Amino acid sequence: MTARMNTCGESEGRLDISETGNWSYMLTVDHLRKRLPGGKLLLRDINFSVGEGEFVAILGLSGTGKTILLRCINRLTTPDGGEIVLTDNGNPLNITQSNAGEIREVRRRIGMIFQSFNLVKRRSVIENVLIGKLGRIGTVRSLMRRFADDDIEMAHRALNRVGISDLADRRAGTLSGGEQQRVAIARSIVQDPCLLLADEPVANLDPTTAEVVMEHLRSISVGNGISTLAVLHQPELARMYATRVLGVRDGVIVYDGDARLSDDDFEVIYGSNNVAE
Amino acid sequence: MLQNRYIIPVLFLLFFIWSIIGTGFSIKDLIAGVPNLSNFIGCMFPPAWDTFVPLISPAIETIQMAFLGTVFAVALSVPVALLAANNITPSKPVKVLARGFIAFTRTVPDIVFALIFVSAVGLGPVPGILALAIHSVGMLGKLYAEAIEEVDPGPVEAVEAVGAGKLQAVHYAVIPQVTPSFVASTLYRFDINVRSSIVLGLVGAGGIGFELIMAMRLFRYHEMLTILIIIFIVVMLSEWASNSIRAHVIGEEVLK
Repeated sequence: MTARMNTCGESEGRLDISETGNWSYMLTVDHLRKRLPGGKLLLRDINFSVGEGEFVAILGLSGTGKTILLRCINRLTTPDGGEIVLTDNGNPLNITQSNAGEIREVRRRIGMIFQSFNLVKRRSVIENVLIGKLGRIGTVRSLMRRFADDDIEMAHRALNRVGISDLADRRAGTLSGGEQQRVAIARSIVQDPCLLLADEPVANLDPTTAEVVMEHLRSISVGNGISTLAVLHQPELARMYATRVLGVRDGVIVYDGDARLSDDDFEVIYGSNNVAE
Repeated sequence: MLQNRYIIPVLFLLFFIWSIIGTGFSIKDLIAGVPNLSNFIGCMFPPAWDTFVPLISPAIETIQMAFLGTVFAVALSVPVALLAANNITPSKPVKVLARGFIAFTRTVPDIVFALIFVSAVGLGPVPGILALAIHSVGMLGKLYAEAIEEVDPGPVEAVEAVGAGKLQAVHYAVIPQVTPSFVASTLYRFDINVRSSIVLGLVGAGGIGFELIMAMRLFRYHEMLTILIIIFIVVMLSEWASNSIRAHVIGEEVLK
């Protein structure tokens, strides 16, 4: 098992089966199937694995189910078939077979970055960052809206990490898009996940801001050993930041490999009509 | 055949005439009644100023009734609204039940609740408070549930995605989003409750309304006018207070 400075919390006392399990992978998706409510089979047979510290970009045409795929991984969506296993610190957690209580356990270990940031706009930046801790705090205590000093300090450090420590007391809704996405990243840092899902994290941002945000994502992925799975719209961004690309088309993975796509790879993922673009 | 645009005005006119005939409304009777009316109002002047100070205490009781009734209504409406809102309710049967309760409290007039509670706990402000609390759920529960259904689901999802529970998601992502609308609805309901609590006094539920009905029954018309003046002041004050709070909250929104 690879040594990691920053492991996910609450792994003490769990059975360590790293000797026997498929420990080299952090996330394994096996024969995943997902049907849309209308009946259309969106994801037919998705198979891939993500190793520790990898930064994987998911590319594909609009409407191919890239976002649904991400949402299956933290069970914001329930898949119709197949298996997803998250191996945290040597302990495999079967995501697809988790009940409601176990899903919360799984979600604690998986951070998520959304296209529209999804901050609570009327609350302060620091409170938004502290939301990352909610999965580890008892419901009754968290209803008091009081956090431990350690947690607050951790939240400030996370804001510092993404370069916006001076905005801690501002209302989240008053921040620019790039700043809001950085708050969302800080929220994920505080969560201390082993896997980060990013759903078009820079689609709402201008190109310069997008690069700043992507740089922060890469930095926490590399710095904290957090595997990252990012749905991206631009192959260019994937080439710059990802260590690997997964191409989704017609409900299956059609490309799994180097982030520098050749014209042929591009055609495999997006189809021939789009090559000219 | 009638053109489409004439249908509504013609229907309106027909309904208007039909209602006038049905209720026997006549301008002639109204004009004939003017001397009686002026006689009645004449009897009220001048107001009995000596009763002004002793009437302040029941007036305060009216405001206290309205305030407590509104507070209890909010405490009851928030959980019921959460259960009734499509996006938060734990299950469909619970939602139907919660909506049924809200509709029921709205359908039964507060004065009916007051009569029931007066017979249960006796005369005084307590049955009035209970009546206001229950009946207000009909409006607040409905408005709250609508506000909850309109929240941006994104932040709720983000909170749930870190492994937080449903209650935490409501507390951290739903409540902040609905606060401005909850405050506005609640203040509006408080204004209504100040006026309602006066009416409830008429059936024995305490406050200045009770003094008004007593003065009427004892033919103390001068005292009645004093009471009406006090009611006017109370209503103006409460509306001014809720407008100030509303402006403060909305001002905060604009500044963000």
